[in-house]
Amino acid sequence: MSCKPARRNRPGALLAANTQLCLTIWFALLVFLTASATVAAETLPSKPAGYFNDYAGVVDQATALRFNEQLAQFERETSNQIVVAIYRTMESESSVDDYTRRVAQTWGVGQKGRKNGAVLFVFVENHQMFIQTGYGLEGALPDATCWDITHNIIAPQFKKGEYAAGLGAGIQAMMQAARGEFKGTGKTHTEENGKHSGSFPVGLIIFFVILFFVIVPRFRRIGRRGYGYTGWGGPYIGGFGGGGWSGGSSGGGFSGFSGGGGSFGGGGAGSSW
Amino acid sequence: MNKFAFGCGGILLVVVFIAVVIGMMVMGKYNTLVKLDQSVNQSWAQVQNVYQRRADLIPNLVNTVQGAANFEKSTLIAVTEARASVGRLQINPNQAPATAQQLEQFQAAQGQLSNALSRLLVVSERYPELKANANFQALQAQLEGTENRIAVERGNFNQAVQEYNTAVRTFPTVIFAGMLGFPPKPFFNAQPGAEKAPQVNFDFKAAPAPPIMTPAPSAAATP
Repeated sequence: MSCKPARRNRPGALLAANTQLCLTIWFALLVFLTASATVAAETLPSKPAGYFNDYAGVVDQATALRFNEQLAQFERETSNQIVVAIYRTMESESSVDDYTRRVAQTWGVGQKGRKNGAVLFVFVENHQMFIQTGYGLEGALPDATCWDITHNIIAPQFKKGEYAAGLGAGIQAMMQAARGEFKGTGKTHTEENGKHSGSFPVGLIIFFVILFFVIVPRFRRIGRRGYGYTGWGGPYIGGFGGGGWSGGSSGGGFSGFSGGGGSFGGGGAGSSW
Repeated sequence: MNKFAFGCGGILLVVVFIAVVIGMMVMGKYNTLVKLDQSVNQSWAQVQNVYQRRADLIPNLVNTVQGAANFEKSTLIAVTEARASVGRLQINPNQAPATAQQLEQFQAAQGQLSNALSRLLVVSERYPELKANANFQALQAQLEGTENRIAVERGNFNQAVQEYNTAVRTFPTVIFAGMLGFPPKPFFNAQPGAEKAPQVNFDFKAAPAPPIMTPAPSAAATP
C-alpha cells in the first residue's frame, strides 16, 4: 500500500485524495477483519492426543488409559478409528450434530480410503452426547444403532453419574458393531507412519540435516583444504535418521492418536440424559 | 525483398507463438473446468443419494405408523403423496441440474416431503404407544441422521458449485467458458422453513428445548 503522497506538486489535493484512499482501504480492512472475526468466533477443538480424551475429568486416569489402549488395539485389529472426546460444555452456537460433524471431519478420524472413523462426543454439562460415524462405518454403525448405544446403553449409566461404566459399555458396543467391517494391519495409523506425527515436515528436516552435514562441510572443505570433513557427515546422519525420531510417541504405554484423513457425512445419532 | 520476407516470417512466427500460448492456456482452463464440472456432478449424485435414502425410509415409516391404533390418516396420505411426487421428478441423478428452474422444482418437491414428514413426526408425538415402539424409535433416528446427511451433502454441493462458478466467471475463463459449454450452475437456496424440515423430537425430559436441537442452517445455507 502506498499511503504516502507520491508527488510533490499540488501536494494539498493529492494528499487529500491519498488520505481518502488510505481511509477507504483501512475501513475495508477493518470491515474484513471484523467479518472474519465473527466467522471465527467458533474455534473447533484441536486434534486430540489419544483415542480416549477426557477433557472434563469424569473418568479416573487408570480407566482412561485402559479405554485408550482398548481403542488403540481396536485400530490395530480392524483399522477402524474410534475416538472418544468428553468436554465440559459444547463451545458452539450450532446444533450438536452439525458441530460434532465438523469437529470429527477436521480431526480426520478414520483411514483415508476407508473413511472408517467414529467419534463419541460427550458434553457433560449440556447432558448431551453424539456419535458421529464416518462414511465407511455408516453400514456397521447405522444411526439407529448409534441411537440405541447412546440412549439405551450409555445414557442410563450417565443418569446415575456412572460415567466410566457408561463409557466402557458404550465403547464396547461401538467396537462390537464396527468389528468385522474392515481388517486391520496390526498397527495404528500413528505407528504405521512411524516416528513422526501427522503434519510434521520430516522430509524437510531430513533435507536440512543432509544439507547441513553433507553439503556444508563439503563447501567448507573446499575452503580450507586438507581437513577430512567427509568422515564427519556419515555418522551424524545415521544418528539423526535412526534414533532421533523413533522414540517420540511410544513412551509410557500411551498410544497416541492421529487421524488417517477419514471424512464424515452427517451419519450417526445422539441423545441426552 | 529478402527483408520483407524476413519481416513477414517474423510476424507469422509471433502470431503462431501467441496462438500456441493462447491455445495452451485455453486447454489448461478447459481441463480445470472439466474437473470442477465432474466434482459438481459427483456431489450432486451424493445429494441424490441422501434424498433417495430418505425416500427409501418412508414406506417403512408409514407401515410402522399405520400399525398404531387409529393414527391420523391425513398426515399419512400427505407423506405418501409427497413421496410419490418426488418420485415423479424427472431428474438426472448423475448430472447436476443446469437451470435454476430445474433445481427449484427439485427443491420444492423435496421441501414438500420434508414438511409432510415433519408433520407426521409431530403428530406421532401424540401416540405414546408409537413412541415406545422400538421400530419407530429406530426409524426416527435413521430419519434424523438422513436429514443431517442431506444438510451436509447440500453444503458440499453448494461448495462444489461455488468453486465451479468462480472458475467459470473469472477472467480470462469467462471469455470462452460459455463457448466451451460451461455455463454457471445453480445452487441450493435455503428455503424459508426448509432448513428446519422434520423436527424429530427425541423424548428429552430435562432438556429445556435448547438451540442445539434446531437443525443447522449453516451447512445448507448458500455460500
